[in-house]
Amino acid sequence: MPNNTADNSTNTHTDKSPLDRLFQLQTKYMKGGSDASIQKQHDKGKLTARERLLLLFDENTFVELDMFVRTRSTNFDIHKSLPHSESVVTGYGLVHGRLVYAYSQDFTIVGGSLGEMHAKKITKVMDNAHKMGAPLVGINDSGGARIQEGIDALNGYGEIFYRNTKSSGVIPQITAIMGPCAGGAVYSPALTDFIFMVENSSQMFITGPQVIKSVTGEDVSAENLGGASTHNARSGVAHFSAPNDETCIAQIKQLISYLPSNYGETPPSYQANDDANRNVDQLNTVIPQDANTPYNVLHIINSIMDNGSFLEIQAQFAQNIIIGFGRLNGSTIGIVANQPQVLAGCLDIDASDKAARFVRFCDAFSIPILTIVDVPGFLPGTNQEFNGIIRHGAKLLYAYSEATTPKVQLVTRKAYGGSYLAMSPKSLGGDICLAWPTAEIAVMGASGAANIIFRKEIANATNKDETRTNLIDNYETEFNTPYKAAERGLIDDVIEPATTRVRLIDAFNMLHTKNETAVDKKHGNIPL
Amino acid sequence: MSTKKFNIKVNGKSYNVEVEEIGGVASAPVASAPTPSAPTGGGAGGITAPMPGNIIEVNVSVGDTVAAGDTVLILEAMKMKNNITAPSGGTVQSINVKAGDTVATGEVLVSIG
Repeated sequence: MPNNTADNSTNTHTDKSPLDRLFQLQTKYMKGGSDASIQKQHDKGKLTARERLLLLFDENTFVELDMFVRTRSTNFDIHKSLPHSESVVTGYGLVHGRLVYAYSQDFTIVGGSLGEMHAKKITKVMDNAHKMGAPLVGINDSGGARIQEGIDALNGYGEIFYRNTKSSGVIPQITAIMGPCAGGAVYSPALTDFIFMVENSSQMFITGPQVIKSVTGEDVSAENLGGASTHNARSGVAHFSAPNDETCIAQIKQLISYLPSNYGETPPSYQANDDANRNVDQLNTVIPQDANTPYNVLHIINSIMDNGSFLEIQAQFAQNIIIGFGRLNGSTIGIVANQPQVLAGCLDIDASDKAARFVRFCDAFSIPILTIVDVPGFLPGTNQEFNGIIRHGAKLLYAYSEATTPKVQLVTRKAYGGSYLAMSPKSLGGDICLAWPTAEIAVMGASGAANIIFRKEIANATNKDETRTNLIDNYETEFNTPYKAAERGLIDDVIEPATTRVRLIDAFNMLHTKNETAVDKKHGNIPL
Repeated sequence: MSTKKFNIKVNGKSYNVEVEEIGGVASAPVASAPTPSAPTGGGAGGITAPMPGNIIEVNVSVGDTVAAGDTVLILEAMKMKNNITAPSGGTVQSINVKAGDTVATGEVLVSIG
């Protein structure tokens, strides 16, 4: 614990001793901004930069770097108004006993503004995190670029973005927004893997309410434009939302517990708190008798995973698909699941983007993926077509095809047409594909198919309605089952739902040694 | 719930025990974000159709008090009876559809004030 605090009452040195000078500087720099600005920060319900880091790291493990770094700009006498250290605290420490690097912008010093040396402190921990193969957590609370430092500040952002991109897929990068984050500053968070936001105290936008008002005449508050609710529920920019700084940091620590430290590590494994041989009898009856009745797929996920281990990501965005991490027999699993009770579980633009990015994260860090399928199709409508559901849906097909991490598919009910192919089927390299007896794996729903195949028979029948109903029933019995797919080996086994947890644990155990090398090339061209 | 039989030894002495699971196996996720109802868009208090389909059931009348998350009507679309829920609590001000109507995406179905 190198964070000695100077206690002048107990030392015997004179004011001029080297040790005194060190203690004086440490005291001054560790305090942050003025008493008034610290008070203001607390009055807003916000913690200071160091308070946040101390919450993030295990007790007595935070090691600060670059405490003495200061601006070297003399433009507009900025150095005189900045008597403190730079407006960001950086360093490393342990989170649940594992090495993590972090930076935390200090809003109490010149509004946390980013200048040349502020950026250099950040890029130093980014470089170290990359080299050491440790996750990076960035806590953002900054008014933006330090205008006085001009192009040096701008260049600083560029240096950060470059490293965010170079480290993407090498180490997990997590950003917390705990104050303003506007203009170019938003792009470092956007380049990282997960964004956390605090309700009512954080905002992200490219252009703020005043610029929008002057250019387009639209009246919008900062919170409505770029608050936690907007980015969690509407834009999909953020992944987690918390009521305050403390909860936000607890969420970050929980997320880190699922992640490997870098792409070369296997995800952390814990002593399982749940019986690996547990049958879940309720799953035998979880699918409603009426195929048109929705159910909550979260019940299935929660009952299969180790007790209480499911952590949902982007819970408020594109709710027709669920993504998150859980544990099976103590090991991390990424879960993608259609949610039949929202938009009938259809895939749409937002759901495709949400799931595709998650699949790529899991693949980058060798996290096995479980895909739970109950999908009637892609969402019809001009809105979807005009906004490019073709290229967005293609991302999901691309992400699953590209992924070499273990992929297990579980079909619970509908798996129709192209949307089935977008949900980790055998044909896209699915390693183990299981189906419940209620599965309907088919080119389309029974009535649609029967109306096309038996068009003439129906048209020529004396009793058209009865003929149609009979033909649909026959088609459904014959084709809307898991057995046609199982006959072709597209489904490896049809299982009793109660045994799902046991079968999944077995499948992921078996896949533990999977070693599939990606095709040698520079990189593919994912349809962005 | 199933009963499991175990043989345990304590200080060399054997005991046969039966263990019965009594709790439900489904458990709430730990510290995950709250799950609000599907975003419905539209103006304040207006519940809009999230996708095109047929109204098969209207569960409320003008003047009814509803709570956030209550199902106000059922929209059949993509072969699914989709529960359309109130995004926030209030009093039903107007109902613009009846059972059997076909609605388009974004159409205001019910207003809650």
